[in-house]
Formats: sequence, C-alpha cells, structure tokens
Amino acid sequence: MDSQACYSILKYVGKSLIKVISLLIAVSILSFILVSTSPVDPVRAYVGEVGMVNMNAESLARLEAYFGLNTPPAERYWNWFSDFVRGDMGLSLVYRQPVDEVIGVKFMNSLLLMLTAWFFSGILGFILGIIAGLYRGTWIDNLIKGYSLLIASTPTFWLALVLLMVFSVWLQLFPIGLSVPIGMKASEVTILDSIKHLVLPALTLSVIGVANIALHTREKMIDIMVEDYILFARARGKTRFSIIRHHALRNIMLPAITLQFASISEIFGGSVLVEQVFSYPGLGQAAVAAGLSGDAPLLLSIAVISAALVFTGNLIANLLYGFIDPRIRRGNMHG
Amino acid sequence: MKKKLFAALCMMVISLVALAGCGGKTGEKNANAGMSGVGSVIIAMDTESEPAAGFDPIMGWAAGEHTHDPLFQSTLLITKDDITIGYDLAKEYTISPDGLTWTFKIRPDVKFTDGKPLTAKDVAFTYNQAMKQATDTDLSMLKSVEAVDDTTAVFHLNTPYSAFAYIAAVVGIVPEHAYNAATYGKNPIGSGRYILKQWDKGQQVIMEANPNYYGEKAKMKQVTIVFMSEAAAYAAAKGGQVDVAYTAPSYTVNPINGYKILAFDSVDIRGINLPCVPAGNKIAARKNGETLPAGNDVTANLAIRQAIARAVDREALVKNVLYGYGSVAYSDSVDEPWENEAMKTTYDPAKAKSILEADGWRLNADGIYEKQGLKAEFDLLYIASNSARTGIAMAVKEMLKEVGIKVNPVGSGWDKIATMAYETPHVFGAGLHSPAGIKSHYYTGKNYASYSNSAVDKHIEAALAATSVEDSYQYWKKAQWDGVSGVTPAADSPWVWLAEIKHIYFAKENLNVIDKKIHPHGYGWTIANNVDQWYWN
Repeated sequence: MDSQACYSILKYVGKSLIKVISLLIAVSILSFILVSTSPVDPVRAYVGEVGMVNMNAESLARLEAYFGLNTPPAERYWNWFSDFVRGDMGLSLVYRQPVDEVIGVKFMNSLLLMLTAWFFSGILGFILGIIAGLYRGTWIDNLIKGYSLLIASTPTFWLALVLLMVFSVWLQLFPIGLSVPIGMKASEVTILDSIKHLVLPALTLSVIGVANIALHTREKMIDIMVEDYILFARARGKTRFSIIRHHALRNIMLPAITLQFASISEIFGGSVLVEQVFSYPGLGQAAVAAGLSGDAPLLLSIAVISAALVFTGNLIANLLYGFIDPRIRRGNMHG
Repeated sequence: MKKKLFAALCMMVISLVALAGCGGKTGEKNANAGMSGVGSVIIAMDTESEPAAGFDPIMGWAAGEHTHDPLFQSTLLITKDDITIGYDLAKEYTISPDGLTWTFKIRPDVKFTDGKPLTAKDVAFTYNQAMKQATDTDLSMLKSVEAVDDTTAVFHLNTPYSAFAYIAAVVGIVPEHAYNAATYGKNPIGSGRYILKQWDKGQQVIMEANPNYYGEKAKMKQVTIVFMSEAAAYAAAKGGQVDVAYTAPSYTVNPINGYKILAFDSVDIRGINLPCVPAGNKIAARKNGETLPAGNDVTANLAIRQAIARAVDREALVKNVLYGYGSVAYSDSVDEPWENEAMKTTYDPAKAKSILEADGWRLNADGIYEKQGLKAEFDLLYIASNSARTGIAMAVKEMLKEVGIKVNPVGSGWDKIATMAYETPHVFGAGLHSPAGIKSHYYTGKNYASYSNSAVDKHIEAALAATSVEDSYQYWKKAQWDGVSGVTPAADSPWVWLAEIKHIYFAKENLNVIDKKIHPHGYGWTIANNVDQWYWN
C-alpha cells in the first residue's frame, strides 16, 4: 500500500472517530431521557411492595436523594457526562459498586459468548450460502433455504428453550445454565467446563445468526454465477472450486461482511434473551436489571458501550471493503 | 468438488457431536464429584434473591423487604420458630421505661472468622453505619448507638419502638476493624454459621460451615445457592442438577421423578385495601412535595367494606386459584404472636347482601347495588405479571358479582400501582416477621386505605411504647380489635385479607429440609434460614 492510501485510510478513521463521538453523545442523551421519563420509579422498584408500605417518609426521602431524584435531570446528566469523560463511569445504584467493575465482570462473559456465536454464524452462514447458491434449485439448496427461512422466523428465546429442553433436560449432555459448574470452586473449573457452559447459548445465537447471512450470500452467489466472466471462466474449463476461489469469492464477500459486522447488534440483542433463558450472567442480563430498577448510571454506560461496539463493527466492515475491493479504496481517496 | 464440500460438512457435524459428547461425560463426572450429597446441598433461588449490593448488612443484606437470617453474620436477637424473640449475640436486653433507650448485653465469647473478638463496639459501628446508608432497612427510629464497654451496647431511639427487636433479629453485625464499604459485600467477614467461599456474580454463591461458630455445629457443611428463573430452576431440577428448587403452583402439575413437593407455611398474605375516605383526597406520598390522589367513593362506605369481607369465598380461592397451595387468611399476621382471632369471619353472601340493604343500597336493573345514584362498582388493581394475583382478582370479581358489587380488574405493573393504590383497591402482598405491618396498614398517615381511627392509633402507640416485646403483643392485638372498635370485618374493615400463599419447592426425596419458621412475604433466602440443620437420609 502506498503512503497516499495510508493517508486516506487515516483520514477515514479520523472522520469516523468524530462521527462515533457525536453518535455516542446522542445515544447517551437519548438513553438518559428514556430512563428519566420511564415509568419505573427507582425508589419503588428498589423498596418493593412491602417496603413501600412499611418504610417511613424519612427513609424514603433518603433513598430518593440517593437515587438522585431531587436533582434536576439536566444537572444529573451533566454530572454523569463530565464524570464519564474523565473515565469515571459512576456508581451503579443497585449494585452499589463502580459501574466499570459491574460491567467488567459481565462484559467478559458476554464477549466470549457473542464472539463465539458471531464467528460460527458468519462462517457457517457463508459456507451454506455458497453451497445453496452454487447448487441452486437442487435438494441441498431447498434444504438450506428452508432451514434459513424457518430459522429466520424463529424467536431466539424459543429456540433457546428448545435446545435447553433437548440437550440439558432430556439428554443431559449440557448444563442447564450459568457459565460455571454449580458448586465448584473457581480454582477447579477447567476450560472444558467453561466451553461446556458456553455451547448451548452460543449455539442458539449462531443458529439464529446463520439464516440472514446464508440467504444473502445465496442471492449474491446466484447473481454472480450468471455473470459473463463466470461463463467465460467455465468455458475455459475451470473447476467450480477454482471459479469460486478466483472469481466469485471477492464479490460475494462484500454483502456477507456487511451483514456479518452489522449483525453485531443483532447478536447483542439476541444475547439479552439467550442470557435470560440460560441464566448466563452477561451484559444483557445486567442491562435488563438496570432498566427494570431505574439504575441510570449502569444503563447509560451499557448503552454507550454497546453503541460503540456496533459502530466499531460497521467501521471494521467499511475498512475491510477497501482491502477486499480495491475500487472502493480508490473511491475513498477521492471522496 | 461436491464430495469435498460434503466431507467438510460432515467433519463439522462430527466435531460438534464430539464436542457435545465429551462435554457430557465430564458433566456427569463433575456431578458425582461430591458437590451434592452428604453434607452438601444445592438450592435454586430466583434471580432476584441475589443481593445486588452483596452480603453487607449495612447495605441491607437480609433486612429490608424480604427478611431472613443473614447466615454469614450473627444478629443481636433472632426470631424463633413461633416468631417470638430469642437471643443470639445478646444475652439479655432491657428497654428503659420511656422506651427510648435499649441496652444489650452481648456474649463475650464470639469471634469473627478472622479470629478477632466481636465486641459491643462492632455492634455500635454496624448500626451507626447502617443508619447513614440509604437502603430499604428502616432504621429511622434510631438516633445513635454507643458501646459502653466490650459487652454493653446502648441504643438511643428517637421514638419508642418496641418492634425494634424484630429489626435487631435481621441486622448482621460486621467487624469494625475489617469493614470496607467497597469490598465487604463481596467478601463478608462475620461470626455467623457460614463463611462465603465464592460468589460467581449473577450465578451462584458457595458457602461453607464456619468451623469456629459458637452455636450448634452445622450438619450441612457446604451450601450452594444458584440463581435461576422459574423455568430454568424447574429444568435444573428435572435434569437432577439441583437438590432444592423454588417453584410455582402451576409447575406442580408436572411432578419430577425423585423429587417431592414441599409447601411451607408463610405469612405471605394476599389482601385488598379498601380506601376509607371519599375520592378527591390527597396523600403526601413523598418528602419532596409530591401528592397522590387518595380515596374511593364506593369503598368509603362502611357497609361495602363489611360486605366485601364476607362475600369472598376464601376456601374457593385457595382451591381454585392457588391449586391448594395456600390457606385462608383473615389478617396479615397468620400464626404470629400478635394475631387476633377476632379478625376471622365467615363466608356469608346472604349476610353481605343484608348489610348492604340495611345501609340503604338497592339492586338496580343490572343486578348491581345502588345508593343515591352511586353504583357499587370499583376497579381492582393487580400485578399483571403474577399469575396468582391475576387469578385472585378475577375470582374476587366473580364472587362479588354474586352479591351485587361490580369489580373491574385492572392489571398493571407495581410501579404504576404504587401510585394508584391510594384511590383504587389493589391485590397486595404483605406479611412480615414483625408486628410493624399492623402499623403500616392501620395507623393514621401513609396507609393505602387512608384509614384513621384514634382508638386504633392509641393501641399502636401503646404497643410501640411497651417496655418489652412480649408485653407489646397484647396492644398489637387490641389495635385489631379491643372489644369496642378495630379493623375486623365486623368493624371498620379497611383491608380484606384473603389467603396465605404457601411457598413451594421441589426437593430431592432423601433430603430432610428443616423448616419450622413461617416464611415472610417473598421467596428467596428464607428457605435457607435452617439450612445448617438439613441432612440427607
């Protein structure tokens, strides 16, 4: 790559950075407005039904102050924002711990789950899409297509429950949930144990994620297979594998990569449901807990982090385009 | 080419199956590795039972809405199986005649798990810190606590509060020398029956018996608590992965092989508040000036309230809505020392109708009672996500229809209901290991029925001013009915209590779950109150 290309990429990244920062600020403001206008009253959620009856006004007032209900919303947001910029995510109201500590634990769990699911769904979806497109109209195409359409319309939590019933309850091959074996000391937990606990939730997410990528790759594959240059390559007696390898792959990769990196948001959303079903202690569960209890600092940080994650995904996709298709890179240089 | 692709696919499938297979084998091995079995038990609790702020009594562990034994820490007093007060750290306690000074003499022989002795200074430290914190533990009656010497702690109160003994039974004592607000919750040092060995956040807690515990030695050496949704807990029991799992009546329709169903008595009572003042009133719900609408024109009629109390067939509720996992209830103090028999009434729809007619209500063309243009009709709130409450609301609607009172059930969430319930009756869940519930339901002020009766107030004040808890019981009883006036169905009837909800669990057949102490409102850690005494056959 020459220096000019390098410069153009840097410029692109710089522009994207400005974009992401303004996006994150917008996300945090929007989330904050949502939290503060939500009907969830953190004090009532925290104290509960019996507590609301039994606690006296003084104790309730102290809780209101603790949850910041007496501070004007704009001031509350500014306090949070200025702390956040300085690297202090604040104190989770419900967990009564620094938000970064809460998220740190949950994020590592989720990340492993999401990465595994994301990786498998991408690879599998891509391969299945190529096969279906290549053997269009045959039984294997129908099988893959049918499977993809079926899965695309399957609710994530339902699939999670089915897998749980089949593999954990009936066959008892996998644990019911959690990310560690029940009752086992941390020092005795092996990597195999962790994998075992990861398989079902990751499988659910992968299976769901496959459909989208497989269907789009199939379409693109069909489009490309009737192009002149494919015809020409065939006429020259090239094998199917060689055609895919040298002529089709770059073309079908573009939509797959877009989808794959865009699917980060879907995987993230799906992980919330899957984590609930499998009692898997990830970011999704933390987000649900934060939302239901009006824990603004925790929820805001999760929102910002997940937005950053999705944005990063899209950015990587855009950068990868440049490497895969030189025409896009040249286009960037001028634009 | 085709072959290659198929080969690749086959490889993938095979490797997945192999992965699954090897996972399965180790799983079985682990399950047999002695985690469950003699001296060890695994209990599935709901995810909300996991204390978000950790096992720190100062942040509200064990106290608050759902009280239970703190297990890792000791308390000054305990609630005994019959919900009277017993002793733990305290050898004795005295209340000054004005009710404002409590003096606790504590045992000299108790040590924290780090080997340092527990003294009155730790007691004072715990309470003084807890008072400053904003949690759902109500310590507003406390002014300050001081340690006079190593074994004497003196509590100064703002106002006489004999029910404080019940608070002293749930607030665990932390060591002043080893307390750090940021880390204590994750790594509690106490003097209780168990030591926290491991906490995998969002998943499980592993605890081990404290070898130096001053009381009776625990039979159950290792206790693992896993936090799961209702469905996951059921699945886990079905898969044999937990020994005890909380559940709901609807799950008992499909029993699990090798498990018995345990139903524990509770003071988890469902009842309906009947606002006693007409609509248009306001209640100051908040310190910062927020007021909420209060009062209901229909339930403000005494005859309506008395009729409702008699028109509900509680036996039928228990049988049909709770699948038998409950019992009829006429107060929120079932089987507690301050329960008053006078709260009981009989199911008598004819009597309900005659009460209404004697008060001038007449049936209209629709079969609804009317008086001076006012129809006997009101909304009934219930938490829509809760199947038992939904069922109760629907059943109450049908039962009251029989006596000419129209009820419109309205399902909603607790957040919204908490602000609406002062003007609209709501299917409440209540019940405490403390007579304080009587104050919150019937004392003039914040109660959801806007009920006010100076005679009842006086008895409650007398109960709180009593110089011993045992002495206070008679006043709590009188607050309900003193022979002249009170809150019984025949008198003011501001709340109609309906049914006690049994707390039900699946438990392995050869496990002896000891549970003599009635559960308070809410599932969760109360199941573990006696876990040290459980044993396997």
